[in-house]
Amino acid sequence: MDKHSGFGIFTRINNVSAFLSSCMMALLAAIALSSFLFSAQADGDLAISSIKVVSSNARRYPNKKQDLAFVNFNITADLSPLFHWNTKQLFLYLEAEYVNKQSVKNEVVIWDRIVRRKEDAFVKFVGKNKYMFRDISSSFKGVPPANYSLKYNIMPYVGVLQYGEAARTTEEVAFPEPQSRL
Amino acid sequence: MFTEELKAFKRLGVRHILLQVLNFASVIASGLMIWKGLGIITNSESPIVVVLSGSMEPAFYRGDLLFLTNPADERYQTGDITVYKIPGADIPIVHRVLETHDVSPKNAKSREENGEKVLAHQRLLTKGDNNYVDDIELYQGLEWLERKHIVGKVRGFLPYVGYVTIAMNDFPQLKYALLGGLGLLALIQRE
Repeated sequence: MDKHSGFGIFTRINNVSAFLSSCMMALLAAIALSSFLFSAQADGDLAISSIKVVSSNARRYPNKKQDLAFVNFNITADLSPLFHWNTKQLFLYLEAEYVNKQSVKNEVVIWDRIVRRKEDAFVKFVGKNKYMFRDISSSFKGVPPANYSLKYNIMPYVGVLQYGEAARTTEEVAFPEPQSRL
Repeated sequence: MFTEELKAFKRLGVRHILLQVLNFASVIASGLMIWKGLGIITNSESPIVVVLSGSMEPAFYRGDLLFLTNPADERYQTGDITVYKIPGADIPIVHRVLETHDVSPKNAKSREENGEKVLAHQRLLTKGDNNYVDDIELYQGLEWLERKHIVGKVRGFLPYVGYVTIAMNDFPQLKYALLGGLGLLALIQRE
């Protein structure tokens, strides 16, 4: 009850909790900063095996035409170097980069995967796009070839989110003429 | 019961009460200054947000704290995690960018003026990591997300800390208990 003596129960609780929380903050800051010491890069291969463009109906306007691209690809990537003590998970994504006829610069994610353990960090995937791949002009006709890249986002237990690129197509991949059926 | 407190009050006088009020006001004012200062540095109206939904699990859970920046001269990229607020929606949403479309302005002159013009025309589509479909249904009739809807991009992450605010919203009793407890503590400690 006497605040001048410094032995009051509340004063003690206050001091101890303040000390503990500043220790906690310092520890969290140290862990967050330690992420910058691990600057490992992931390495991988990406190959586009085939690509088809199909003319279909738009999602919102059933009587409007919308081209959809179907991309088949192979991915092999070793992401295990990215796992350190402050890696909670990796978000791996494959994106297409191209400039369309109206000179709109586009980046479209067509596939992604969440990697949560180091044991799953060797990624080998053969398949096709998970998300709809369409152009905002609704047509792929005459659109210049696209680049594809495999990127990742390292998500920490505490601290800063980091980004990187694991693989990229060496040559641009052209969009074929649209077909009416797959 | 309160006679002693009242006596203490009288003994301390008006001056002391005014001083307490002033202290309280300066605590609130400095808090506001820090918040607004952070907002100016990060160019974001809300530089720290609490995750309110599970749509970004397992990356972010309810109650995790996110630190945002929104540099005016930087474009958004796929894989960035954005916080956006659609006019008419009451809560901001934390989702990842799935598509970006940089529409350049019609006349080349405005493109030369500064980079901002080009950035202003960026159209985005987002998706929650834990959702199966993209966010177009959340956009309230808009086709794309635009720069003006975006509060910021997630740069830093601190788990659990924001859960206090969620708990206070979900259980209002807790809020009153906490306030009452603090008030009581202040009353007891004064002597």
